[in-house]
Amino acid sequence: MCITLFIILTIAFMVVRLMPGSVYDNPEYSIEIIQALEAKAQLDKPWIIQYFHFLKGALRGDWGVSVKIAPCVPVFDVIKQRIPITILLNIISLVISLPIGILAGTVAAMNRSRMPDHIISFLVVNFISVPSFVFATLMQYFLAFKAGWFPIVYSATAAGTAKYRSMMLPMLALSFGPIATVTRYLRGELIENLSSEYMLLARTKGLTKYQAAFRHAFRNSCVPLANIIIPMFTGILGGSLVVERIFAIPGVGGLMVESVSTSDHFLTVAVLLFYSVISLFTILLVDISYGIIDPRIRLGGNE
Amino acid sequence: MTMDTPNHIPDIPQEKFKFVQLDQEIVDSAFETEPIGYFKDALIRLRKNKASVVAFYIILVISSLAIFGQDFNPYTFRQQNPERTNMPPRVPGLEKLGIMDGTTILRNRRLDSVKDPNQFPEGSVIRVFNQRTVRGVEMVDVKVDYYKLVGAEDEYYWLGTDYLGRDLWTRLCRGTRVSLIIALVSVVTNIFIGIVYGAIAGYYGGKTDMYMMRVCEIINAFPQIVVVTMFILFFGTGMFSIIMALVIRGWIPTARLIRAQFLRFKNREYVLAARTLGVGDLAIIFRHILPNSIGPIITRAMITIPGAIFSESFLAFVGLGLKAPEPSIGILLSQGQKVLLQHPYQAFAPSLMISVLMIAFNLFANGLRDAFDPTLRGQE
Repeated sequence: MCITLFIILTIAFMVVRLMPGSVYDNPEYSIEIIQALEAKAQLDKPWIIQYFHFLKGALRGDWGVSVKIAPCVPVFDVIKQRIPITILLNIISLVISLPIGILAGTVAAMNRSRMPDHIISFLVVNFISVPSFVFATLMQYFLAFKAGWFPIVYSATAAGTAKYRSMMLPMLALSFGPIATVTRYLRGELIENLSSEYMLLARTKGLTKYQAAFRHAFRNSCVPLANIIIPMFTGILGGSLVVERIFAIPGVGGLMVESVSTSDHFLTVAVLLFYSVISLFTILLVDISYGIIDPRIRLGGNE
Repeated sequence: MTMDTPNHIPDIPQEKFKFVQLDQEIVDSAFETEPIGYFKDALIRLRKNKASVVAFYIILVISSLAIFGQDFNPYTFRQQNPERTNMPPRVPGLEKLGIMDGTTILRNRRLDSVKDPNQFPEGSVIRVFNQRTVRGVEMVDVKVDYYKLVGAEDEYYWLGTDYLGRDLWTRLCRGTRVSLIIALVSVVTNIFIGIVYGAIAGYYGGKTDMYMMRVCEIINAFPQIVVVTMFILFFGTGMFSIIMALVIRGWIPTARLIRAQFLRFKNREYVLAARTLGVGDLAIIFRHILPNSIGPIITRAMITIPGAIFSESFLAFVGLGLKAPEPSIGILLSQGQKVLLQHPYQAFAPSLMISVLMIAFNLFANGLRDAFDPTLRGQE
C-alpha cells in the first residue's frame, strides 16, 4: 500500500513537473509573479531537489496552491470543502444498493429459472451494461425536466428535505450499477450454496426450504460479498465523477473535471491522490475484514 | 423349451461347415455422425442461446453501421453549416407517422414575431400554445416545422445536427467506429500482454511466479481513474494515448486467468509426454497448453470490450477524450448532455447507441461463456 502510494506520488510529480510550460501558466499573472511562485515552490532548482521538496510537502499536507479555479488557495483547502458531499453521495448510494441488491439476488436464486428470476436477470444485464451517466442523462430529462418530480440540478443552498430531494436522482443513477452487481453476484453464490450437501443435511434434519436457505446458504453467500465491495465502491466513485458534473454537484468529482479542463495541475494531482488514498484504504479495509468475517481465511503464515 | 445336454452333440458331417466371413474384412463400423470438435460444440450451444444470437446480430448491424453508415448520406462528420445548426431529426417515411418529422418547440417567443411571415414563413408554425403576458409583452410557446422555418424543406438530417450544423447521423456512425476501434485495439493488446505474462508466470512457477504476481498486485492497486487521467495528462489526448491508458491496467485480469489455466494444465500427462520427447518450453507453452485456454480467452475479450467502450466515453465526459472534430460515442454524449434540455435528441441517439452496444456485448459474452464452459451456466 505504501509502495503504491509512493509510486503514485512519484508519477504525480513527473506529470506536474515534467510537463512542457510552467505550471503557473495563467495569463493573469505577470512574469515576476510566476517567477516568485516558482521560487517559492523551488521550481528553479534541479529536479531532484524539487522531488524531495515535493515529497516533504506531500507528507505535511502541503500540496501547492490552486492556480485557476481558486487562485492562490491551497489545494488542500479547496478539496476539503468538497469532500463531504462526495462521500455522502457515494456512501448513500452504496448503502441503498446493498439491501436492494441482496433482496433481488435472493429472490432470483430462490425462484431459479422461473419468472422472477428471468425478469431480475434481464434487469441485471441492462443495469450492468448501461453506464451511470446515461441513466443520469435520461432521468434528468424525463423525471426532472418533463415530469418535474425532482429538481433538475443539485441545489447546494437548499436545506433539509429539499436538499435530499435534489440528491435523489444522482444517488439513483449511481446505485443502479452496484445493485445489479450485488444481485448477480449473490444470485450466483446462493445458487451454488443451495445445491450443496449441507443444504441437504439441513433439509433432512427438518428445516423448511426457507429456513435452511436463510440460516445456512444465505449466511455463507454473504461472506464473499465483501470481495466485490472494493471494486464497487471505486466504481461508484468513478461514476460519481461524471454524475456530479451532470447534476452540477460541487463535489470532488466535479472539481477534477474542472481542474483537468482548465489544466490546474496541482489541483488535479491532489484530487487524484484523494482517489488513490480512498481506494487503497478500501482495499486495506476489505483485506482486514476477511479475517473478521471468515476466520478460515488467514493470509500469509503457514501455507 | 428343453436344453440339450452337453454330452449330446448332434452328429454333423465336416463338409457341412463352411467359413462365412473369409472374404469379408472385419473392422469397426465407422460412425455415421459427424465428429464434433470443441469449437463446433461451443457453436451449437451458442446457437441455442436466443439472447446471444440476437446480441450477435445487433453487434453485426452496429459494426456495419460503423463501417458503412457514414456513406448513407451526403454529409461528412466535420462539415459545418452555420445555417443549419441544431436541426431536429427528420427521417423520410417516419415523418408521416409524426415522429422524427423535424418539428420542435420554441419557447418564449413574442407573439407578434410569430405572426410575422418574415421570421416564421408560411406553414412553418404548427401550433401556438401557452400564451401569457410577461411585463406587458405577449409571449407564447410555439411548435414549428423547423425545416420550413429555416428553408430547408428538401433536406433530411436523420438524427438532426449539432451546434455547428454537423450531421449527427454521420457523426454517430463515425463515433461508433472510433469507439469500437479503441475498444478492439485495447482489448487485443490487453489479451496479448496478458497471455504472454500469465503464461510465463504460470508455466515457470516458483519465484518467477511470485515476483510477477506481486508486480501485478502493485499495478492493480492503482485506481483506474487515477492511472488513466495521469496517463492522458502526460501524453496528451489522442487515440493512441487513450488506448495505452486502457492497456496499463487492463491486461491484469487476463494474465491472472491465463496463469490459473497454466497452473491447472502444466502437470498433465501430455505435457510430461511432450517434455520427455524433448519439446522446448516455448512450444509446450504455445502449442500444448495455451490452446486449452482459447475458450476463456475469447470470453474474456468479449467481456472486456464493453468495459473499454465505457472507459472511453467516461474519459470523453471528463474532458480527456479525443480532439475535436473527431467524434466518439462519449464525446457526442457529453456534447448532447450539455444541451439536454433544449435539444434532447442530441443526447438520446448516442445514449441509445452506447446502451444497445454494451447490452449486446454483455449478452453475447455471457452466451459465449456458457457455450465454452457449460459448467458455469446459470452463475452470472
